[in-house]
Parts: sequence; C-alpha cells; structure tokens
Amino acid sequence: MKTEVIGKMENQGMIAAVLIVGLVVGLGVGYMLPGLMTAPPEEPTDLLEVIQDRGYMVVGTSSGFYPFEMVNTTTDELYGFDIDLAEYVATELGVTIQWQDMDFGALVGACAAGTIDMIAAATFITPERNEQLLPSVWYLRANMVIVVKNDSVLTVSSYDDLDGLDVGVQTGTAEDFELLDHNDGGGTIDIQEYPYLDQMFLDLNNGLLDAVYVDEPVLGQYDQIYDIKIVYTVLAPPMAFYIAYDNPDFFEAVNNAMAKAFETGYIDELILEYFT
Amino acid sequence: MQELQEIIRWIEYIIVNGLPATLLLTALGLGIGLLFGLVLALARVYAPTGIQIMATLYERLFRSIPILVLMFVFAIGLPWVFAFAGVGTNAIFAAVAFSLGLRSSAYQSGIFRSAILSVSPGQLQAARSLGMSEMMANQQIVLPQAFRIAVPAWSNEYAVVIKDTSFALAVGVTEMNKLAFNLYTESPALMMFILVVLTLIYFCFTYPVTKYVGEYMSKRLKRLGLGGG
Repeated sequence: MKTEVIGKMENQGMIAAVLIVGLVVGLGVGYMLPGLMTAPPEEPTDLLEVIQDRGYMVVGTSSGFYPFEMVNTTTDELYGFDIDLAEYVATELGVTIQWQDMDFGALVGACAAGTIDMIAAATFITPERNEQLLPSVWYLRANMVIVVKNDSVLTVSSYDDLDGLDVGVQTGTAEDFELLDHNDGGGTIDIQEYPYLDQMFLDLNNGLLDAVYVDEPVLGQYDQIYDIKIVYTVLAPPMAFYIAYDNPDFFEAVNNAMAKAFETGYIDELILEYFT
Repeated sequence: MQELQEIIRWIEYIIVNGLPATLLLTALGLGIGLLFGLVLALARVYAPTGIQIMATLYERLFRSIPILVLMFVFAIGLPWVFAFAGVGTNAIFAAVAFSLGLRSSAYQSGIFRSAILSVSPGQLQAARSLGMSEMMANQQIVLPQAFRIAVPAWSNEYAVVIKDTSFALAVGVTEMNKLAFNLYTESPALMMFILVVLTLIYFCFTYPVTKYVGEYMSKRLKRLGLGGG
C-alpha cells in the first residue's frame, strides 16, 4: 500500500511549511547579503549633504554627566549645556537631532564607523582621539580634579602620590588616559574603570576607592550628596564636538555655527544658566 | 505617602517609556532565534554530515561570543548593514534585535535538537513497522512530539532573552534598564531602591510566563505520556 503519495493533504501541509520557512530565510538572507558583501560605501557626497537630505542629524552623547547632558525623568528629555549647544548647531544647519544615549567609551568607535554623525558629550581634545576623529572649535575649558572623602588625609602633588592606591576613573575619559600613561611610565596606580559615575562615587563613599579622578563640573551635583573634597586640580584640555574625517563641508558648517554661538553671546548665556 | 508616590512615579516612568522597546526587542530576538534555531536543529539531526558540521560550528561560535561584543559589532561597527531601517535609532534597534536573535538561535538549536532526540526510538520503529517511510514517520510522529517537549525549555529561553535586552543600553537603545539608570543618576542616594523596583518589574514579566508555560506544560506532557516515556 503506497502511503507516500505527495498529493495527500497531511504531507502538503508539512512541505508547505518547510517551503515557507525556507522562503522567508532566503528572503531575509537575500535582502541582507548585498549589504554585507559590499564594502562600506564610499560617500561621494559630503556628510553635510547626506544629513540635510535626511532631515536629521544623529548625535551621540552619554547622559548622567552634570551639567552637560542629563535626563529629566519627568518629561523623559535630555537637557544640559551640550544638548542646548548641539541643538543650536543643528538649527543653524537646518536639521533636527536624533539623540543616541550610549556608553561614553562607545562614542568614539560609533562616530568613526558612521553610526552617529557627531559626538556631543563634553569630550576633551586629546591626541588619541584626534587620530580617529576631527574636533570642532572648542567651546569650554574645565578642570580635572582628584577627589577624596572629607575625612581622608591624602595629599597629592603629582601622580606619584597615587601609586599603590585604588583610583576610580570613568572609562574612556581623558583622566583614564592620563593615569594609564603614568602607569606605562612606571607608575603603580590601581586604576578602577567605571562606565558610570554614580557607581564610582558610591564606591568612594563606601571606602572601596581611595580617590577618584573626574572633571570638576560633575562635583556640582555630587558634593551635595557626598562629603568630599578636592586635593588636586589641573587644567583640562578643552572640550569640543567630534566629527569624522573627510567631511570638509560638514566641518566648516559646524564651526561656522559655533563661531556664531560665540559671537551672539549664546555660549555666555549657557554658562550663566548651567554653571551658577 | 510621599515615598509611595515617588515609587509609583518610578514604575510609571520605567514602564511607559521602556516596556514597548524591551518587549519588541524580546519578540524580535526570539522570533529570529526561532527561525534560525529550527532550521539549524533540523539540519543537525537530519542533514548529511557536511551540513551537520557547519551547523554545529555555527552553534559553537555563537554560544561563545558574549552578547555585548555581538551588539557592539553590529550596532556600532557595521552601521551600513542595518541602514535600511533608517539611519540612527532604527538602525541601532535593528542591529540589537539581530544580535539577540543570533545568540538565541544558537541556544534554541540545542533545545530543539535535544527535544527531537529525546522522542523515544520506539515511536520511530513502530511507525516504520506500520509501513511509513522515514520522512513521513519523522514528520507525522517524531516532530509533533518533539515540539511539545521543547516548549518548557523554550520558555526558559524567553526568560534569558528578556534579560539580555538590558545590554542594549550600552549601545544607545532606550529600554527599561537605561531608564532606571536615568532615575538614579538624578537621585544617586536612592540607587538601591530603584534597582529593587527594576528587578520587580523584570520579575513580573518573567515569572508568570515561565511558571505557566514551564510547569503547566510539564504536567500536561506527563499526563499525555510524552517526554521520555
């Protein structure tokens, strides 16, 4: 008795299911395969044209950094010095902004790959970053400070005084690079890297860290909560927006917008608003 | 009470702004994982040796890559692949869903393969002795039983994927974990309480599903006599 005739109703269902699954998988692979096979497309046009065609600019930031980029949890919106300045630049270019709020350490890689168009995250100008990305005109300068608990007896006159101690830094920041360079030159600081500042200050408060090395502006928020004091101050490299190389029109447009912000006194307005 | 109102505000903030993204990522991740995982499992059990080896290599590879590395590679490093969805937020979202799906497919291929292999060989013998061909016996007798056996383990995979979505905050997707971070950046002293609230929210979405599907389904399978009988 032949039970294998394909025309039977039960077999048809199974074969149809297999065909449909195969078709969907094939469609999906076929859709993505051209994208995966071609190299990153050579942009014949400048990033400025691409952004203006698109109508929005993708800007990366890393919120939680007082007072440059913070989230207002009542309205679920980003606000801060960098946010306002970047919105100003976008208005000058005639586009809106789509914010991408990610880890600080991921920002440089994302901008170099093209996932985001610009970094607006209180990023200091350092030689390592300049190898991969192009900084705009710088807009602000702050201090880098070493902070300890109020009852600590540590005094610091140079990085050698930190040798052998647990020092916290935020991953990927200029302070991180400074201490790593010191260790490369023979230092023995126990560098603890944190992706977020809150955890770092909590550990300082609980005694897990001897000191933290941060930018001075964040203390405006943290010294209201914790009992801390500054033991070392050094002028930081200035902050700028970072964009990818080989986009001269975009670079010029961003710098023109920043120059206008300085001329019209917008930067002074922002400093008054966020730093007093 | 002031504290209770504050907690309710947190819960509302996290759920209203983050839950759709988390559930969508879970659904997409599980869906892609199901598609690839089924194909791979069938390949590993029934296909000729060459294809079996390729499927096994795929599974070994994606079980050993950390999910965060996968997300960085696709969301940060390969933006043009997902640009079809819309450059920026949509592309990153698609990349995260795809990397979740890839990792999940490796584990799901294991789930379905072990389910197929755990159907008693007596079933296949009985089917063949009735005159069914190999292919018909597998389609009609073995696979239906295998899928029913796989359901409790599959609900376990759901619980894993919904918690894996929290890694997406590192690449810029706004989901529940990121919103909790926003909350305790605003009020750092309350970090522990906010994290407890977040844990309870994840618990509410994981426990009922695994309990219902896992235990209920296991009891039903025992009643039907499946699952190693």
